[in-house]
Amino acid sequence: MAVAQLTRRRAIILLVLTSIILITLDLQNSSAISGLRNIFSTVFRPVESTARVITRPISNGWHGIFDYNDVLDENDRLRERIAQQEGATIAAAASVRLAQELLALNGLPTLAGINAVTAQVIGDSPTNFSQTIEINQGNESGIRVGMPVLNAAGLIGKITKVFSDRSVVMLITDPDFALSVKVVNSPRQTTTTTIAKSNAAVPSPVVPVEPDASLDTETSSTTTTTTTTTIAGFTPSVTTLPAVPSGVSSITVPLASDLAVRETGVIEGRGPSRQPTVRFISNAVRFGDIQVGVPIVTAGGSRSLSPPDILIGKVARVVERLGSAGPVLEIEPVADLTNLSFLRVLLYQPITEKATP
Amino acid sequence: MIRFLTIMSSRWTRLVLVLLIVISLQTTLFAEMRPFGVAAQLVLLFVVVSGSINGSTIGALTGLIAGLMYDFVLPTPVGLTSLALGLAGATAGLLVYFFREPTWWMRLITIGVVSLLGEVYYPLAQTVVGLDGWLQFRIIKVAIVVAVCNLVLSPIAIFVCRWTLTERKLSV
Repeated sequence: MAVAQLTRRRAIILLVLTSIILITLDLQNSSAISGLRNIFSTVFRPVESTARVITRPISNGWHGIFDYNDVLDENDRLRERIAQQEGATIAAAASVRLAQELLALNGLPTLAGINAVTAQVIGDSPTNFSQTIEINQGNESGIRVGMPVLNAAGLIGKITKVFSDRSVVMLITDPDFALSVKVVNSPRQTTTTTIAKSNAAVPSPVVPVEPDASLDTETSSTTTTTTTTTIAGFTPSVTTLPAVPSGVSSITVPLASDLAVRETGVIEGRGPSRQPTVRFISNAVRFGDIQVGVPIVTAGGSRSLSPPDILIGKVARVVERLGSAGPVLEIEPVADLTNLSFLRVLLYQPITEKATP
Repeated sequence: MIRFLTIMSSRWTRLVLVLLIVISLQTTLFAEMRPFGVAAQLVLLFVVVSGSINGSTIGALTGLIAGLMYDFVLPTPVGLTSLALGLAGATAGLLVYFFREPTWWMRLITIGVVSLLGEVYYPLAQTVVGLDGWLQFRIIKVAIVVAVCNLVLSPIAIFVCRWTLTERKLSV
C-alpha cells in the first residue's frame, strides 16, 4: 500500500513537471508540441466524429426545445432586414465595383484580387475561457496560421491553428486577439472662410454649395466663378476659390479638413461579454473628435496579417483619457459572432511572411 | 503476454480510454448545449468525482492525465489545463478528507464546491502564464452554472468514475 502511494506521488510530481515543461515549450511555439497535437488529433478525431454522430439527435433536441422561439424571432427580424437592404445592396454593389476599378487603376490592392476558401463552422470552443471556433478547411486548402477570416458582414477573426482538414479560428472577442486597424473618422465641422477680394482680409461665412450649382459673385473689383464637380465618396461642401480671371473655370474639391481622416490603432478582444476595444489612437487635433458610429477597418501593411480595408465594426463608445493618451474606443463588431455558419478564409499572407522561392 | 494483459486491464488504461470518450462528448455535445451561454465541463466533473471518491492522490493523478489529454484539443498552451485539473482533483480529495464518514450529499456538496473552484483555477492559470483578460465578473456566472450542471450530472459521473477507477485483479 505504502509502495503504491509512493509510486502515485512520484507520478504526480512527474506529471506536474511535464506539464510545466510543455507549457514552456508551447509558449515558445515549439514544433514538437505541434507534432504532439497532430498525433493526438489523429487518434482523437475518429472518436470525436463518432461522438458527434451519436449525440447529434440530443443536441438537435436541445436546440429545438430552448432555441425555437429565438429562431422564430430571428427569422422575422432577418426578413425585415432583407427587405430593407435589398434596395441598398444594388447601390452598394455599384459603389463597390466603382471603388475596385479606382483601386485597380491606381495599382492599389483590393480584396477582389485575393483568393479565398469558403469553410463551414463545425465546432465551438469546448471551454468557457477561449473564444474560438473550428472550421472544416485546413492546410490542404492552402490555409495558414494568421490568415484573416470573414463572414458576409466583415472580419470575425484569424486562423490560429491549422490541421490537414480543419482549422481553429480565434474570434476578435478573444482577449489574445490583436490587429492593427484604421479608424475612419467623419470630417470635422469647420468654419471655413472665403476671401472674395484678393486684397481684403475680411472673413465671411461660406454657404454650402449644392452640386451642379453655379454661382456668380460680383464684388467691387473681382469676379469669382464656381463650377462644382461631385466626386463619389466626397461630400460637396464649400468652395474656396481664388479670384480668377473672368471666363476661366476650375474644379471644386472638398477642403482637406473635410475629407475622411484615418488614424491607426490596435483592436483587442476582451471576452464574450465585453466589446473589443481599439487603443493607441492618437489624440491629434487634426483627427478631431471621434464620432460614435464611425467605421473601423483593417489597416493592412507589410507586417499586418490582414489586407487593408476589411470592415470590422463601428465605434460604440468613446472613452476619453487624460493627458496625451488617446481615447479608447469600444467597438461593436458588424458580424454576429454568436451565430456563425459559413465563413471565408482569405488566403492572404503579408509580404514579410511569404516564403522566398 | 501476462504483463501486457495486466497493463491493458489496469484502471489507468481504462481511465485513458474513458477520458477519450468524455473529451469527445465535451467537444461535441457539451460544446453545443450551453445553458445560459455557458458550456458544462464534463472533464472537470469527471476529475472532481474521482477525487471525491478515491482521495486527493488519485484525484490529482486523474486531473493531470485528463488535463493533458484535454490540452491537446484546446488552443491554449499544452499543460495548462493539466495543472488546473490536477489541482481541482486534489482539492476534491482534500475536501472530502474533512468529513469523517462522507455521506452521498456530502459528496454532492464537495462536487459542487470544487466544480466552482475548478472553473476558477483555469483562468487563474491562464493569467499566471500571461494570457490575461479572462478574470472578469463573468467568471462568477460561469462557475455557478458549471457547478449546477455538474451537480445535475454527478450521479452518472459517480457511476462511470467508480467503474473506471476500481482496481480489478486479472485472473488468467
